[in-house]
Amino acid sequence: MKLRVCLILSLILIVLFTSVAMADAPYGSYTYDYWGDPVPAPAPYVPTRLLDGDALGIGPLTGASDLFISDDNKIYIADTGNNRIVVLNSSWKVERIIDSFVKNGQQDTFNSPQGVFVTEEDALYIADTGNARIIELTSKGEFVREIGPPKADIIPADFEYKPTALVVDRAKRLYVIAQGVNQGIMEFDSEGTFRTYMGAPRVSANLFQYFVRLFYTDEQLSRTIDFVPTEYNNINMDKDGFIYATTSSISVYDIQGAIAARATDDRVAPVRKLNATGTDILRRRGYFPPVGDITFYSRGYFEGGQSMFYDVCLDDYGIYSVLDNRRGRIFTYDGDSNILFIFGGKGNRLGQFNNPVALSKLGENFIVLDRSISGHGQITVFEPTDYGRLVIKAVSSHNEGNYQEATAAWQEVLKYNANSELAYIGMGKSYLDQDEFYTAMEYFKLGNKRDYYSKAFKLYRKEVIADYFGLIVGCIVLLSVALYIRSKIKSRREVDL
Amino acid sequence: MEVLRGLRYVFYLIFHPFNGFWDLKHEKKGNLGSAFVIVGLLGVTFILRRQATGFIFNTVNLLELNIFVEIMSVILPFALWCVANWSLTTLLDGEGSIKDIIITSAYALAPLVIINLPLILVSNVITLDEGAFYYFFISLSVVWAGALMLVGTSVVHQYSMTKTLFCTVAIVIGMGLIIFIGLLFFSLIQQVWSFIYTVYKEISLRL
Repeated sequence: MKLRVCLILSLILIVLFTSVAMADAPYGSYTYDYWGDPVPAPAPYVPTRLLDGDALGIGPLTGASDLFISDDNKIYIADTGNNRIVVLNSSWKVERIIDSFVKNGQQDTFNSPQGVFVTEEDALYIADTGNARIIELTSKGEFVREIGPPKADIIPADFEYKPTALVVDRAKRLYVIAQGVNQGIMEFDSEGTFRTYMGAPRVSANLFQYFVRLFYTDEQLSRTIDFVPTEYNNINMDKDGFIYATTSSISVYDIQGAIAARATDDRVAPVRKLNATGTDILRRRGYFPPVGDITFYSRGYFEGGQSMFYDVCLDDYGIYSVLDNRRGRIFTYDGDSNILFIFGGKGNRLGQFNNPVALSKLGENFIVLDRSISGHGQITVFEPTDYGRLVIKAVSSHNEGNYQEATAAWQEVLKYNANSELAYIGMGKSYLDQDEFYTAMEYFKLGNKRDYYSKAFKLYRKEVIADYFGLIVGCIVLLSVALYIRSKIKSRREVDL
Repeated sequence: MEVLRGLRYVFYLIFHPFNGFWDLKHEKKGNLGSAFVIVGLLGVTFILRRQATGFIFNTVNLLELNIFVEIMSVILPFALWCVANWSLTTLLDGEGSIKDIIITSAYALAPLVIINLPLILVSNVITLDEGAFYYFFISLSVVWAGALMLVGTSVVHQYSMTKTLFCTVAIVIGMGLIIFIGLLFFSLIQQVWSFIYTVYKEISLRL
């Protein structure tokens, strides 16, 4: 008897513990619904691996600040504190360490390089921040050229050039983010000469600020902070050559205003997608602008304040993800800026960060570079769950025009997550295509999609009117006949009187 | 019966406000009963507007609908308006009694009920493209009621239009003052209560 109880108990325990081990994401994943409330969602990605410099056998990655993954899946880390670039292959083995190069016959080194970029032709560009220059090397680490500080009339003589991030397009133009620059992104032509600033963030000032300034004396005016545009802090380029840039210096009040107004314009934009002329072309069709967290304490409380975007990473079909340094979260949006996933967090467990600075994608895995408490770089690898893969599949099938596949995927998504408004909308769209207007209406209602609901409703109404046309006309005829007879009787009575 | 007669008069009054309000007061065409029915209907209209407006035009989270709050959002401003109106016009040679003021103000709100109640039904059968009509009629009802309120105040107190406008601004400020004093009162009561409670607790713990 006793033995049997023991056996059953241990069986129960085994079952319990194995099931606990399955749910291993140390964060609560969620999304925001139409009302701006956070609603729980299954984990789209789970952390599977943590690496640091010691595990790689190259000593701590002191203050590492950038991580780039090239087209051939090599991982480049800007190991800022050690003045070197570390190159890993896709199976996380050290392939090369670049800490010096031969320039004009002389040995030269980096000084706290903060940014690294690799072109399709394997040309390696390094933002050598401390030396105020950009270095181009071949894939073998041989020096090609040096691009120094920009020279132009619009740049003041005492300007201190500190490039921190860069991208290079197919025409070999360089787009550089430098510290303390708020005029936009610095554009250099293929020769390395400074051309212009592009994509300057818009200045935002509200009516109240203008009003107050009317009454200020000159001295007060000189003491107030100028309305300067915000400065970018990171940059990335997608396959079509569009530039994504992030900024973390937008005030919490501007962010809250944009959320409250459900802004769809680019006035308050912590992440931008710029075309070659520097115009923001990011589609903002989500229920809320892509600003990270929607509900947060503006100040005072633990981790209060808006999300602080430090990096952006790009996927096919316009899907993009941003890294929130303040709360250590990753926000994934689709090409219309609908929120797909939110995951990650601050802490010391696997999958949590202390000071995440760079986000990249290796295949379907997310790679996050965290500077951690000690300041030593740590790399976390996130792998997608079935749920995460399904959502990506649904979005990409829809973008490919493969609507049947998309519908099937959304249907699966709903099995995992009954809170997914996007899935309801996706289903609704497919029912709309199949001329099942009433079902489509119900799905759009669940997805809170009023414009599409209106479209479906219009067609449904037409259908109903067509079905009951005879009845409606009959009622109108009967009613008018009744009214006519009534008025006749009334007038006869009046005559009688 | 009296109430029904008063309610039927509404349809005359909203189209002929000057004569209507004059007869309302002097010919006793309206009564308190029908006035309260109108305010009650307005409360019902507000609740229904939240609850039953078609999905396309209903941008309120139904999970957060609170009927009590909806009713109070009608009754409280109405009561405040009447009290502030009476308090001020008594000092400014107004001729209306508090009864007149309540009846006049309630009748002036009638367009809100008459237009919005059918509009709730309509909102269920129109699409976003036809929404312009919907929003036009909502604005119309508000403007109409506001105009009636002004005319009503001027007729019931025998005021000129300039004096009415001045009075209306003063009444709105007065409403703010009443709210302020009310909050002050409750906050002080709270303090007093917590003081008494503390003394009671102190004594009961020591004995």
